[in-house]
Parts: sequence; C-alpha cells; structure tokens
Amino acid sequence: MSRPPARRLVALFAVMAFAFAAISVRLVVLQVGQAQELQDRAFDQRVRTNALPAQRGQILDRSGAGLALSTPAADVYADPTLVVDPWGTATRLSPAIGIAVPDLVDALTSQGTFVYLARQLDRPVSERVEQMALPGIGLLPTSKRSYPAGPLASQVLGFVGTDGVGLTGLELAYQDALAGTPGERTHELGLSGQAIVGGVDEERSAIAGSSVVTTIDRGLQFHAQTALEDAVEQQGARGGTVIVMDPETGEILAMVSYPWFDPNTFADARGTTYRNRAVTDAYEPGSTNKVITAAAAIQERALDPGVQLTVPWTMPVGDYVIHDSHPHPPMQMTLGDIVAESSNIGAVKVADRLGSATLATYLARFGLGQATGVGFPGESNGIMLPLDQWNDTSLATMAYGQGIGATPLQMVTVFATIANDGRWIQPKLVRGTIAPDGPLDEADGQASRRVVSAATAQMVTRMLAYAVDHGTGSKAQIPGYQVAGKTGTARIPTGDGSGYLEGQYIASFIGYLPAGDPEVVVAAILDRPASVYGGLAAAPLFRRVALAAITRLGITPAERVHLPPHALPVG
Amino acid sequence: MVFGIVVVNVLLAQTSFRIEEAERHLERLTEEHLELVREQATLSAPGRISAWASRHGMRLPDDIRILHAPGTGPADPAGADSPTQTTDQPSGSTGEPPT
Repeated sequence: MSRPPARRLVALFAVMAFAFAAISVRLVVLQVGQAQELQDRAFDQRVRTNALPAQRGQILDRSGAGLALSTPAADVYADPTLVVDPWGTATRLSPAIGIAVPDLVDALTSQGTFVYLARQLDRPVSERVEQMALPGIGLLPTSKRSYPAGPLASQVLGFVGTDGVGLTGLELAYQDALAGTPGERTHELGLSGQAIVGGVDEERSAIAGSSVVTTIDRGLQFHAQTALEDAVEQQGARGGTVIVMDPETGEILAMVSYPWFDPNTFADARGTTYRNRAVTDAYEPGSTNKVITAAAAIQERALDPGVQLTVPWTMPVGDYVIHDSHPHPPMQMTLGDIVAESSNIGAVKVADRLGSATLATYLARFGLGQATGVGFPGESNGIMLPLDQWNDTSLATMAYGQGIGATPLQMVTVFATIANDGRWIQPKLVRGTIAPDGPLDEADGQASRRVVSAATAQMVTRMLAYAVDHGTGSKAQIPGYQVAGKTGTARIPTGDGSGYLEGQYIASFIGYLPAGDPEVVVAAILDRPASVYGGLAAAPLFRRVALAAITRLGITPAERVHLPPHALPVG
Repeated sequence: MVFGIVVVNVLLAQTSFRIEEAERHLERLTEEHLELVREQATLSAPGRISAWASRHGMRLPDDIRILHAPGTGPADPAGADSPTQTTDQPSGSTGEPPT
C-alpha cells in the first residue's frame, strides 16, 4: 500500500532540506573557508607576468663607431602538450625558422611542457611565426648580439652566449655594465588575451645596459689586421701579434693576434683563436728586452754611454757558451752599438756590471713579471723567476731576453715607458662607460710610476733611433720620420722545460715615432716566420702599421734626435 | 548616471587602446632605430669599404711617401751623429773573453 501524500511531502521536504543544507555548507566552505585561495587562483589565471629583457649596451670604438650592438630578437618555443598537429605545425614552421621538419617533429613530440625550437630569430622572422598563431607555439622576446665589422678586434671584444651573457673579452669583463637590469610587466588578460581595462597593469621598466667606449681606433685596427694577415701569409708564419699604443696616455689604439675569428659565428671557429694573445700569452721577448738592460745601465751609471767594451762573438756562461747572431772578431762597442747591433755578448757584459739584483729590480720596474692591470680577462703576469731562484746563467740570458716571459702588452708598455720620458703608465683599453642618455663616465685613473729619468729615457731613445738608422732595424725606416726601435729574434721554449725548439724563432720589432716626440708605439711580432730575424720579418710589418698610424692619426715629423756615442762606423 | 558610467568606461577603454597602440609604435620605432644603427655600423665597417674598393679597382699604395716642403718641416740637424768617444777599456768582470 502506498504512503499517504503528507508523508511523501515530508520526505521530499527533508531531502530538499538536506540538499539545501549541503549546498549551503559547500557555499560557506567555498566563499568563506577557501575564498582567499580561490580568489588567488582566479587572479593567477588572469594575470600574466612577462619579463622585459634589458637592452644590452653597445661596445664602441674611440670615436663612437659601433663594434658590438644588440638588436631585438625572439626565441621560439613550444609546449608539446598543447601542440595539436605536430607534423602540420612542423611543416609550417620549418621554412620560416630554417629547421628541418623531422627535427621539429622530434621537439614537438618530446616530453615536458617547454622546448626551444629556435633562438635569437630576427624580428621579421619572429613576426611571421607570430602571425601563424600555431597552438602550443610561443615567442619570448630577447636580443641578438651582432658585430657589424665581423672579425675586427674580435679577440678584444669577445662574444656573448645565446643567453646574452658575455663569455670572453670585454663582453665578459664588462658584463655587469653592459647587461643592464631586466624589467617585468604584470597585467590582467581576458580569455581572448586582451588586456582587461582597469585590471592590474604594473610595469617595472627594464634599465638598458651602459655602452662601453674602448680606446680602439676602428680604422687603425683594420690596417693593423690587414698588415698582420699579409705578413703572416708572406712569411709563412704560424701567427702574430700587433699592438699600437699612445705612449703618453697608455691608450691602446689597435690590438690583434692572428689567427682571429668572427664573433658573429664564434661557434664555427677554433677555440684557440678566441684568445687575445697580446694579453694572455707570454713569450720570450729576446733582444727587445735589451732596452731594459741598456736603460738600467745608464740609470745606474754602470756604464757610461761613451765607454767602449770589447765584445767577442762567443762567451762561456756557466756550463753554456752564448754567442752573437753572427760570427765576428772581437769588436769595440759602446752601449749604443750593443743596442744597435743587438749584441748578446755586449748585453751580457753590461748586465755583469749591473748585477742580478739590479737587473731584477729594473725588469720589475718596467712591469715584467706582473700583469699590467689593463682590465682584460685572463691577463698573464708573464714569467719571471724570483731573484733567489736565478741560476748561474739567468743574469746573462735575461740581459738579452731569454729565460724570461712577457706578454706583447708588457713589452709594448716597456717601450712606451722609454717613449714617455721614463714614466711607466698603465695601458688602457676602455675609456669609460656611457649609461643610457648619460655622459661618458670615464674609467678609473691609471697607475703610473717613474722608472728611469727623462735623461736616461732620451739616451735610450737615441740608441733605438741609431738601431733603426744604422743597425738591425733598418727595414723599419720611414722616410721623413725618425723611428726608434729594437729588433728581437727569440728562441722558443719547448714547453716541457727541456730547452728550446731547434731552429724556430719569434721575430719581433717594437718601436715608436717620431723619435724626437713619440706619438705612437707599435709592436709587431711574428711566430716562426720564414725570414727568421726580427729585422727582416717583423720590421717591415712595423713599418706598414706605423705608416697607417701616421696617415690615420695625422702624425707630423719632429726634431731628429742625435745618434748616441758609438764606435762602429755608420754609413 | 548609468549612461555616464558607460560613457566614461568607453572613453577609458579607447584611451587604453590608444596608449597600447602608441607603446607598440614606440617599440617598433626603437627596434627600427637599433636596426638602422646596426646597418650603419655594418655599412661603415672598414672591411666592407675595403672590399668594396677592391671590387672597384682601388687598392692601397705599395709604399706611402710623406713629402715635406723645404723649410716647413723640422730641421735635420747637421752633425747629428755624435763623435765617437774613445775611452779606456773597462776592467773587471767584462774583460777579454777566453780564447
């Protein structure tokens, strides 16, 4: 028998009351208990925070020409879980981003929710991808570093990785200044992706990086690179280095080592070409080091420039016999003759008068054995044995530049010291930084110190001018200008401490002009050239770079310096 | 009042769209400027100019000679070559070499 209607109504009411109570409880839970959490989740779904990449600063040459610049670009990524049709998506993307369809399909069907498909695409390309509006494909704004002059000064500039962080060179050294500060934008978006008017819209603007102004002269750098490349090719050399410096300010106008690389395609180059060997690699300087021996002798009055020494062509030192480059009968030579003819025996005799402690002091005063502090990553100290570790041949060999290691930058700074009237000045590669829309913030002041007196420096200059006018450096002569400089032909250590490579030499010429009022110092160094000798292989390279400096910098001749006292006849 | 609120909302929306459009325009112009700076640096690069000049038959001279008109350059002092100073042979550790 069926229930009476009243009881059925009561039952129905009870069920409804229970349901209503349940809903009420659920509402209370949702709107009171979980209200904040749910609000936050809804807000998170509407709000997007996008990183705003900071524009990386430029690297400029001394006149403001761009050497390294950043332009806007975009990375293309995929969320494979949202890709509807991997093959169709890959087929459309492939021609735009230049990646093969199978590779793209692999990426689009990979595990996870994020995979890069292409990085640092130029704006026109990324805009094409954006217009395709493919499901699961997105774009991230970024910037692309480019080096408009290709391999010009590449070892000085360095390069940045795909994440925009400097990896070598000035890009690394000035990473903090160049990078700037990324910003972010937080805004509320509707379902269609359109900003919600009146919704959250907060932006912390990115702060662009500062630009770095180098001391490099773009035109002179190009001439130096061209001349070096030609010299290496003509001489069949393994490589070489050229540095051009202003002796008064220490500013480096050009700096290059061969072989070099193009930072736009650095991944294709051999890693060894990345090194700025002018700063990071030490070599035995050979006879260019005699300039220190001569300066020390004059400064310490160990040998009057007018005094003649008897110089044979061989001489026993310890267990070894050292000799000059060519046999000759015992000759009467002044200090000027020893420098001009690059006599090893003469240099050893001068060093004997100085003694080990004094020579070591002057080597250090001229900056050997310690980094110059130019501010370049990986700068080498060079190699100089502490005085207490010198053996019975050290004094002799160091007098003519063997048994000691120096970077090309250290050696060019030695000559700059003589050209700068005896005052060592720290070399400089960066003039300063420029914040966005700001003035030039000049780099910190350079260290400087007096090494020898102006009178000593001027006497050494006369000897170096004599070396070019009548000695081993005659191929560095430039008509109309008096050049002061020194040749070097140095043996190359084996690397395992067992001695020197047989018949292999580093040829160098370091000098400055005009001798009477030096405006530029040039170091020209070739690794194992066919002509062997610094005077034959490196002096012509010096001459070519110096000529470029004369025309580029507008250097005018100065008063000629007198030749030093000499015993050898001059032509 | 409702009408007023609607109008204000519409105006706000329009202004917001305009600001957004202006920001996009500014961004495009900034990008264009940067691209032009890069192009200018590329075109003025010494290597490119040198290659262009070579293609058009120009080349650097084999030897540059700088001429100075008489009387305008620095003097080349007569007797710049100092006389040889002959002095006594030094003694001590730098004496005659062994035979």
